[in-house]
Amino acid sequence: MTEDKRMYGHADDLAQPNELKYVGHNVPLHDAVAKATGKIQYTGDMEFPGMLYVKILFSPLAHARIKKIDASAALALPGVVAVFTHANTPETLYNSQVWFAGQEARADERLFCDTVRFVGDRVAAVVATDKKTAAKAVSLIKVEYEVLPALFDPEEALTENAIEIHPGGSPFFEKEFGCGITSETFNKAELIVEDRVETPKIHHAAMETHVCIAIPDYSGKITIYTPCQILYSVRLVVAKVLRLPYNKVRILKTPMGGSFGGKQEVTIEPLAAFFAQATGKPVKIEYNRQESIISTRTRTRTIGYVRTAVDKNGKILAREVKAIVDTGAYTSNGSVVSMAMGKKIFRLYRIENQVFRVQAVHTNTPVAGAARGYGSPQIHAITEINLDHVANRLGLDPVEFRLRNLVHPYDQDLSGGPSLGNARIIDCVEEGAKLFRWQERRAQANGNGSGRFRRGVGMACATHSNGYFGAFQDFTTMTLRMLEDGSMILNSGIHELGCGTVTTMKQIIAEVIDINPDRIEAPEGDTETSPYDVGSQSSRVTHICGAGALKTAHKVKEIFQREAAKILGCEPEDVVMHAEIVWAKSKPEEKMTYGEMARAIQRKNRMEIIATETYQAADNPGSYGANFVEVEVDTLTGLVRVIDLLAVHDVGKAINPGFVKGQIYGGVQMGIGLALSEDLRIDPKNGKVKGDSFARYHLINAPDMPLVNVLLIEKGGDLGPFGAKSIGEIATCPTAPAVVNAVNQALGTNLTTLPLTPERILAALRE
Amino acid sequence: MELEFKVNDKAYSLEVDPESRLLDVLREELGLTGAKEGCGEGECGACTVIMDDLAVNSCLVLASQARGKEILTVEGLAANGELDRMQQAFIDNGAIQCGFCTPGMLMSAKALLLREPNPTEEEIRTALAGNLCRCTGYVNIVNAVKDAASAEETEGSV
Ligand code: FES
Ligand code: FES
Repeated sequence: MTEDKRMYGHADDLAQPNELKYVGHNVPLHDAVAKATGKIQYTGDMEFPGMLYVKILFSPLAHARIKKIDASAALALPGVVAVFTHANTPETLYNSQVWFAGQEARADERLFCDTVRFVGDRVAAVVATDKKTAAKAVSLIKVEYEVLPALFDPEEALTENAIEIHPGGSPFFEKEFGCGITSETFNKAELIVEDRVETPKIHHAAMETHVCIAIPDYSGKITIYTPCQILYSVRLVVAKVLRLPYNKVRILKTPMGGSFGGKQEVTIEPLAAFFAQATGKPVKIEYNRQESIISTRTRTRTIGYVRTAVDKNGKILAREVKAIVDTGAYTSNGSVVSMAMGKKIFRLYRIENQVFRVQAVHTNTPVAGAARGYGSPQIHAITEINLDHVANRLGLDPVEFRLRNLVHPYDQDLSGGPSLGNARIIDCVEEGAKLFRWQERRAQANGNGSGRFRRGVGMACATHSNGYFGAFQDFTTMTLRMLEDGSMILNSGIHELGCGTVTTMKQIIAEVIDINPDRIEAPEGDTETSPYDVGSQSSRVTHICGAGALKTAHKVKEIFQREAAKILGCEPEDVVMHAEIVWAKSKPEEKMTYGEMARAIQRKNRMEIIATETYQAADNPGSYGANFVEVEVDTLTGLVRVIDLLAVHDVGKAINPGFVKGQIYGGVQMGIGLALSEDLRIDPKNGKVKGDSFARYHLINAPDMPLVNVLLIEKGGDLGPFGAKSIGEIATCPTAPAVVNAVNQALGTNLTTLPLTPERILAALRE
Repeated sequence: MELEFKVNDKAYSLEVDPESRLLDVLREELGLTGAKEGCGEGECGACTVIMDDLAVNSCLVLASQARGKEILTVEGLAANGELDRMQQAFIDNGAIQCGFCTPGMLMSAKALLLREPNPTEEEIRTALAGNLCRCTGYVNIVNAVKDAASAEETEGSV
């Protein structure tokens, strides 16, 4: 493998030159050739002998009790193997987002329930020998419903006489935490600026829809092929529903056709597993686009009320943030995401008096869940739009205002969370403003003229986590061995989501062992054979798993040197390992390949070069980012064009700068969608999703996408491998508020309800 | 209905339902699973193949419309084992992440170069307007197409 010099040649190349051989270099994605040739097999491409296909009947009503299901016509259709409903499936209640055994979470979901709670809830399923028959049979199922009153508005859920979607009603979760004394401080403030900001439900829009295959065997074991983010979460939920011991449920991670959190929670796997168990046949469930949009998971709709108090010098004295979190019809991650949102607001600015209050509610709408940023894009939209409003009212430049308040490296989290680590947000803002020519462009744009097209320039900041340390258990275990030809295998519970995790692990190991990354295999996780891992979530993979790979590689190196020393007749520290060749420092003429040495060690020392190590997370620094953006608003049509965007990110160290930039480009695409066009648009009359297809749900496409420049701040300083911090989630967090702030500058408005659709923009202009 | 057509330079004669979609014929009858279904309604481009030199959404083409046509799928790009320039450019430019949009992107980009060997950036973006990608923000995809086009040009002038 050689690094292609042309790689990313068009993108600005701002990576620092370094002496590392593999880390910090643009090693190509390990499966890029398989993907470019169409040879890679995604789950939808896989077939197994005798496999059955599923079509699910989804509720057309937002809230109803099922009185009767008549499946006789469906069952009579040749090729139909079974029809499943609430009457013949387990009553076990589960929660789709638990990822470790013993995790407390409200369990209110069932495979099929006798009450449907949103348009898109599961009513029944046909399992048949082919897809067409399954689809035909589903249309023959007759259901009698008793319609129940429904509610779609999260604020209505908090009113006195709101209906109860689950026993106890809403809020089903409430929390308040903070630091300092807010109420008194507000009384002393020079200026208080309040806003209500709203973010919509959005669809993750992975190009691959939800799909999985479950295969039963003669021993009662169920094997599941799934493009998931957390193997051990799938195992937990499936084992619970099927009442199987964990070792009778085997989960295999298949190639991921995109997730962004959409496949993080356990949605279709327990269904496929149960159908496979019941029929004794392999079963595939593959959703179409509409089904993925309405019936899996969405980003959590969030309404925020912010009050920020400042003095006349632009110092933030106090802030109150109240969030209403709409988790939809089932609890899912409603409480966890509520907490995740709150924690972020204490980690970006030095605010001594601050309180966060959150209420999570159920509505008769599609279920929310994990979504890239896990609440960060929402909470940052809420607070960063408000901060621009504050800056405007103070007559202060938004960059200057932020610089007066941003956190400094190694600040403490005043709400009691882990240290912020080497938090370099000030560098991001200062260097970004310079590179973007902020002052000049901001002054120039400024709503420019009163013609049809108005320009605006805006920016926003954000922070995100690096794993679960300080909140939940976080560690990883890995086994690394060297084979008799000098090649290596990493056995771990990693998940490749297309971000480059496999290659990243290889680069880290390659750096320690001094071996070509192509000589390392790093298969993705398999719950039967891989050690435990917490999963691809919480922006932990590079920071935590990467540190695990580093630790394990060092251990293997130590073993190799110790054993090689016996062969070479020298001290372990005198064993030189260089480019897959090994020798004793004192005898450079006697060289052996790693493979020759591994064989000699087996023969003479009767030892294998293998190590299993557990890395325990011990820090959780903030990853930081700032976006600077220029937009042009067409005041006639209300359409916004994002002209160009600069994304500056404090990533500690980019293990693979190309991958890091890839994450940022994709994150920006998603963030612009959140700002301008993406919204499930739930009909307030009947709860139907209006944006239930790509024809009616607008993703940013190639012509919409602006120029994106990236500046990476790489100052290390924390416990990640080579100082690396997360990028995948933070990449999307600053974008939406930066775009909104730019539009507000262009129009002199204070638009706060996302997305800024043409209708909303035109309405604001009319005011 | 009998469907006679050529796929990746190979002639086929198949018995298919005239209502079946070209995408299903390719994936299910011929085992060519490179083309993907991302929406089934002509909005995402994951199913793009080239039919008589034009990029088409194979989820919208009926088997009957493919009669007598020449189809090129992603599997046909590296027919003799050597990667097509466009494939190499996607790999070199980091234009592939999850890869689910990649086959469709490659075919749309390839069709563009067939009709316009030296496209402007705007033409590239327009040609890819019907191909959605959630991973890459299109940045490196556009770079890859530019790269492949300039490589093609250099080659042409030699
Ligand atoms: S599957 Fe054909 S365009 Fe989406
Ligand atoms: S690479 Fe994942 S959708 Fe394009």
